[in-house]
Amino acid sequence: MTQTQAQTPTRVATKPRKISRRTLASRVPHYVALLVTGVLFLAPVAYMIAASLAPASDTLAGFAVFDVTQWGFHNYSGVASSLSTDSTGHLWRFFAVSFTVTVAVVGLGLIVNSMAAYALSRLTWRGRGQALFVILLLLIVPFEAVAVPMFYLYNDARNTLWIQIVPFIGNALSIFIFYSFFNGIPRSIDEAARMDGANPWGIFWRIIAPMSKPAYASVAILTFLTQWGSFLWPVLMISDPNLRPLPLQISVFAGQLPPAWGQVMAFGVLLVLPVIVVFLIFQRWFIEGVASSAVKG
Amino acid sequence: MLAPQRSRPLAVTIGAGLSLALMLSACSGSPEGGDSADGTIDVWAHSGQASEAAALETLVKEFNSSQDDVTAKLTLIPEADYTSTIQATSPDELPDVMEMDAPTMAAFAYDRKLIPLEDVVSSETLDNRISGVKESGTYNDATYAVGLFDVGLGLWGNKTLLAEAGIEAPTTADEAWTVEEFRTNLAKLAEVSPSGKAIDLGEANGFAAEWGTFTTTPNIWSAGGTLMKDGKADGVLNSQENVDALEEWASWKEFADPNTSGSAFPDGQTALTWTGNWMYPTFSEALGDDLALMPLPDFGNGTKAGHGSWQWGVTPAAEGNTEAAGSFLDFLLTDESIAAMVEANAAVPGSTTALEQSELYGPGKPLELFATNLESACSSDDVSADCIAVARPVTPGYPTVTSSFGSALLAIWGGADVQGELDSAARAIDSDFSDNNGYQDE
Amino acid sequence: MASPALLLLALFVAVPFVAAIWFSLHNVRLGDPRAPSFMGITQYVRILTDPDVSRQFIDALLHNLIFAAVVVPVQTALALSLALLVKKSIPGVGIFRSLYFLPVVFPIALVAIIWRLILARGDQGLLNSALSFFSGGAFGSQDWLGSELTALASVIVLSIWQGCGFQMVILLAALQQVPAELYEAAELDRASAWQRFVHVTVPGIKPTLVFVALYTMILSLRVFDQIYVLAKSGGGLNEGATRTVMYEAVTAAFDENNIGRASAISVVFFVIVVILSVIQRRATSEKES
Repeated sequence: MTQTQAQTPTRVATKPRKISRRTLASRVPHYVALLVTGVLFLAPVAYMIAASLAPASDTLAGFAVFDVTQWGFHNYSGVASSLSTDSTGHLWRFFAVSFTVTVAVVGLGLIVNSMAAYALSRLTWRGRGQALFVILLLLIVPFEAVAVPMFYLYNDARNTLWIQIVPFIGNALSIFIFYSFFNGIPRSIDEAARMDGANPWGIFWRIIAPMSKPAYASVAILTFLTQWGSFLWPVLMISDPNLRPLPLQISVFAGQLPPAWGQVMAFGVLLVLPVIVVFLIFQRWFIEGVASSAVKG
Repeated sequence: MLAPQRSRPLAVTIGAGLSLALMLSACSGSPEGGDSADGTIDVWAHSGQASEAAALETLVKEFNSSQDDVTAKLTLIPEADYTSTIQATSPDELPDVMEMDAPTMAAFAYDRKLIPLEDVVSSETLDNRISGVKESGTYNDATYAVGLFDVGLGLWGNKTLLAEAGIEAPTTADEAWTVEEFRTNLAKLAEVSPSGKAIDLGEANGFAAEWGTFTTTPNIWSAGGTLMKDGKADGVLNSQENVDALEEWASWKEFADPNTSGSAFPDGQTALTWTGNWMYPTFSEALGDDLALMPLPDFGNGTKAGHGSWQWGVTPAAEGNTEAAGSFLDFLLTDESIAAMVEANAAVPGSTTALEQSELYGPGKPLELFATNLESACSSDDVSADCIAVARPVTPGYPTVTSSFGSALLAIWGGADVQGELDSAARAIDSDFSDNNGYQDE
Repeated sequence: MASPALLLLALFVAVPFVAAIWFSLHNVRLGDPRAPSFMGITQYVRILTDPDVSRQFIDALLHNLIFAAVVVPVQTALALSLALLVKKSIPGVGIFRSLYFLPVVFPIALVAIIWRLILARGDQGLLNSALSFFSGGAFGSQDWLGSELTALASVIVLSIWQGCGFQMVILLAALQQVPAELYEAAELDRASAWQRFVHVTVPGIKPTLVFVALYTMILSLRVFDQIYVLAKSGGGLNEGATRTVMYEAVTAAFDENNIGRASAISVVFFVIVVILSVIQRRATSEKES
């Protein structure tokens, strides 16, 4: 990731100086293309925001939804009061559940999977070869292929928090990303540390892990994105409104009769807002995390 | 290389996450089956119509404050997933008391998720039920469910728009429009309806869901067909009568408003809507005297209507302390509770005394039609020309029946070949029945 | 050190996978107090050859394949175009990078709901309003999600909207790795923009392009969330024209309580994923060598 960063600034610095007027003119179509695609990409988001602010009667009345003079925050107060009892579930709890599940899966997943990858990459133990082979095999088993049998096997854990977390901690893809990354770290570094008397744990925690921040970032972001949007598993396992994560809740809320679309869209805005904030703050990590996962995959 | 300090905030976040997890599970009070010993009973109900769910929440609160021994804890589960959820929950994880849609009762009794109510609910309550509610709560000669109300399905009209098109609204079952009249009227009404569409057929509720079966079976019964006979669907579900009836139904699509907004009819956008009693409060508030209730069209065998609605049962989780569950159901089935509920959904009150006191049902009252329909009720196995309200099949295999039929309906609405869809639904149902030994229960 | 991860993978991937094979050979119903009965390969025979059951399953599989056949090339091409658009570091380009990536952080369940309103039939939806506005009313309103012809296409469009930014970022990183000297050399040779694209850009990012295509294909096979949300919560989606393999598995298990058939579908689904991955890997590695 350091390479990409290093290249970009030099280009910015040199190019405009060389051929400035010509590029300016040639940039006009470029900007037009950027803008047109930008508008197309933004339109659904703009619609969601507009519908969350517009009166209910305008949600499904074509362009009326963009009539700024009618906008207000009534849908936001509406969704807060619609979702405020134990029977319907509380608005704050849907966020708390999604947040807890996501943070736990990401955090524990980072630890557990990087440890496994380290053991596979650096330690010698019986069955290592077989374990590596099995993980490569598991890499192609998508969660969807085991969702149904899991639904049956773990039925006793319906409506619990842990069943939303534990199955997703161990992850073959994460292990593989870490494993590839660790393999790229020269072994001479471990050797030097071992000479200084460090044990495998020490080498891992103090040397390998800190050197592997890009791998941690990409695994964290990939896990975060999958987990925050997780839908299939909660559909099958969660009926208690107090343990429902956000994506499931919004589909539940949208299915209510009569549908309060303005409130649904307000809920949608609230749902993505924290992610967008996280995304804007860690934008570089996001983009590099996603990008470097590909290089390894 | 980057500084190695970064793992600390990570550890902090994980720590925070875990403690939040502990906190959540500590205070979640998830439905862990019957803790009835301490006087708390868990109650599950569906949430579909917002007003109905709100009325139920109020009733539960009233119950809790009416006495000190039992506290009911209500959980609302979305209607779309309600039946599947109960199916997926093992008997000991179920709540003590749960609501269920009438036709699913047999499946739950078969799966031992319900216990007979004869010794749970008081005999006064049981004896006071109207016959339709009695019938839809009975399976293998035992009572497994009791209901606050029964349902009415009808055709609602906007009198102003009807008059504009020069159409008079029928009021009794005998005067029901024939299907030809209905089609002609749709065309006429499309011209006067502001949306350009004459009717809302409830498409937004999803024809693949239970709504599809509930709303279209009157057509096939009225055409002389039915869903199943003697545990077999082939030759019954895909009969010529059913094919013709559903071809007719699908042909109404050009006059049907999608009603994505959920308020096409009360807003006066369409002249007609095809829906149940629960919409009456909304409609009468919006249209007042302009609202007309009509029987569904007659396909030849007399007008028909669905019957059997949401009802309540007690699960094995409550065993050992069924008294608490019983006291809750007795409370729900008092005339006062029933009156409060039917005020929200305008359903036919489920007890004879509440029905007598009703302001909506009875001679000359606005929803008289629904109550008279129920007086001549019959089962789906045996639909005669005289009977009007027909119950959906009472069989443990009902989930397959409705899911296969619903898929067929959605495809038919989308333009698929009716005969082909029904043939395939019938075979799917029969094969499921034969896998499960015909759902023979002891 | 590997044991926690290996244990978790065993419990939540390997065991369920083996269980799926066992379930698929039995009549398993959740909550049924009666023991599962053995039925051999009946479930497989049914989903593959019984005209009724298999028709739904084959339809579902076909929808997945159509989905993949459209989404893989279209989304990859679109993502590459976007990546090329935002590659040059001109002022303000960062905003557009974020903008194209934005939908990626939207859970697909929410995406489905937003688009369900945009695509609403009649003159209620934004898309129909926009089309009628810009065509001066010449373009009649469509039932995008309900019509057999456009239902799958609609799902494809909303899926591409959501997923494209992810691929764009991956390709962008690859583009930035292509040495600038190669472009400069090509410019000296007076290669046109298209020639530079074909002879410098594409070979330079080929491994990434292959990865993106493979990844998108696997995602296409797994499509479920958007179909479920649109078909179940009164979205008016034409279920028959859009059901996918996973949708079949979940409805068989959840709505019909037929765990046996659902497991058989899962197993077949897995076999297909493996076959397609192998074919695609083989094809691309042959080309490269």
